[in-house]
Amino acid sequence: MRRWRRRWGALRHHRWQGVLAAAAMAAAVALPVVLLSVGGGVADHEIRALQTSGYQITVSAAGQHGIEGTHALGARLLSIANVAQVSPVLSLAIDAFPSGGTPTPVLAEGVVPGPFGETLGPDESGLFPHPLPFSDPTDLVHYDNGSYAGTPDLQVMVAGPLASAVGLTVGSTLPLGATTDPNRSVPFTISGTFGVPRSAIGPAAAFAIVLPLSELQQLVGLGRDPVTGALVDASDTIDIALAGAAATDPTAVDQAASAITAIAPYYSVDALTQQAAQLGQTAAVLTGFYLALSSVGLSVGLVFLALVLVRQVETDRRLIGIRRALGVPARQIAVGWLRTSLVLTGSGVVAGIAGGWAIVSYLARYGQGSVATAAQLAVFDPLTLGLLALGILGLGAVASLAATRRALRLPIWEVLR
Amino acid sequence: MIDPVPSVLVRDVTKRYAAGGAEEVRALSGVDLDLPPASFVSVEGPSGCGKTTLLNLLGLLDEPSAGTISWDGHAMAGLGERERSRLRLRNIGFIFQRFYLVPTMTASENVELPMRAAGVGATVRRARARELLGEVGLGPKADRFPHELSGGEEQRVAIARALANGPGLLLADEPTGELDTANTEAILDLLVGIQAREGRTLVLVTHNPKVAQRARRHLTMQDGRIVRDSDAPEA
Repeated sequence: MRRWRRRWGALRHHRWQGVLAAAAMAAAVALPVVLLSVGGGVADHEIRALQTSGYQITVSAAGQHGIEGTHALGARLLSIANVAQVSPVLSLAIDAFPSGGTPTPVLAEGVVPGPFGETLGPDESGLFPHPLPFSDPTDLVHYDNGSYAGTPDLQVMVAGPLASAVGLTVGSTLPLGATTDPNRSVPFTISGTFGVPRSAIGPAAAFAIVLPLSELQQLVGLGRDPVTGALVDASDTIDIALAGAAATDPTAVDQAASAITAIAPYYSVDALTQQAAQLGQTAAVLTGFYLALSSVGLSVGLVFLALVLVRQVETDRRLIGIRRALGVPARQIAVGWLRTSLVLTGSGVVAGIAGGWAIVSYLARYGQGSVATAAQLAVFDPLTLGLLALGILGLGAVASLAATRRALRLPIWEVLR
Repeated sequence: MIDPVPSVLVRDVTKRYAAGGAEEVRALSGVDLDLPPASFVSVEGPSGCGKTTLLNLLGLLDEPSAGTISWDGHAMAGLGERERSRLRLRNIGFIFQRFYLVPTMTASENVELPMRAAGVGATVRRARARELLGEVGLGPKADRFPHELSGGEEQRVAIARALANGPGLLLADEPTGELDTANTEAILDLLVGIQAREGRTLVLVTHNPKVAQRARRHLTMQDGRIVRDSDAPEA
């Protein structure tokens, strides 16, 4: 130990140059580590959510001209081969009146309770009670045979954050309305609560409610046209789950999607496998962008490293001259500078990865909102980080070339004068 | 094939250096010199007379502007840096006035340096370094760093390093220039003993006549020329 301390003492003039070069490399490496781990983690999470979703195909037509005749269309879709569940959803912003007359905007999701519960993915299913606490799992009591003649249950589930924020409990009443006028609201009974899924790129839906589809349609005037009285029975999305092995067979998924398109050619039909593939391609493009962005910092770090190495050649010109005078081959001198560069680059890479990990951990713990969520989803993939480290070490080797060239061009007789 | 202790011939060698702009400094002018194997030659002369330039050319650290240098009849002109480096490593031992030890290496590691460059295995070179340091009287201080040694001790380490690969040609540039009288005598005794015992060629550059007297042959330089050679027939 004493011996190494003495050796280290003799390197006093190099110490801070080396520390600064390694620090510059660490700062340059930390950026891609953060970008790749967080970006990759979020993309992986979203792709996995698509791949493990409880449904494989979506039919969608959002807005005023959304899907019409939802219940009848659902029955037709169920007749397609391999289709096991059809879950229509109507998503709208409406007003709730939790404390008498004050309206609170909420995201309302009208669903058919049974199929909705069956088409939840693994991440979501843990957030909802099973089965959903609605007295009509088929949504066919209020809506039946193209009419709304039945008696509505007027039950609603509220998201946990909404219940906490406005003091709602199971069993209490929550008036809901299509307008901010409390006099036109309808009192619903809270039959349960549900959690909010973690998502970094989708809406958090913290203030959300879930209620039977036909009751939401009637509440907002999308059951029947309020003027003509014609049946509308609107939704904006229909999630379709396939049965058994067909759910994971891309060919079966594509065949089912084609059959659905044939029945409803005017709606958008998407297979989640395609969405996952598109998201994967987008993630790959983003990874390239992250690397391009990081290359700016890495270039600065490597230029700094090269300058430090050239500076060290100038500082060590006499020692280099001695070695060359003694006959040390050029190859060994080049290897020496390569080793120095790799040690500094390697130190920077290790420190940069540790620094990137520390930044992401800090954001995951103390960050706010989607920043914290994204940081929590970060993935430190050993293969990605290993390739990144190898690439940077390769560039570090290139950075040593300037120093090596300078060292081998020093006139020996002059530096030993 | 070059002999381990080569015969060196210098013929009509001139060395010019650029001195800024179009000006040139002529450091050597038409130098002729024969160094048979096992010569012990001192080179004297005032500062700037070309002693060190001659030594650099003999040691293949620099190339002449004109004239030829040959070892055992092989011209050194036109050799690539790789070949010159190999000859320096195997055939030449340098001893400098300022010792030029590597400060981050122990005495033993400094002596091992040329052997490591020559690809000698760690065990052999360690043993050889200890042996050489023992020969120069520094066996117990083999693990000391240069800054922990006196000037005389540092020069002994430099001599041991110069001998590491068993070179036939030892080139010493003012080896006692930074030493006191007692150390000067001790280092000279060491060099003279090595030269006599092992039959190497030793070229000793000095401006100190007392040091030069220890050599068998004496060259005196002035203005880039050899103006006196004790071996040359009297005019």
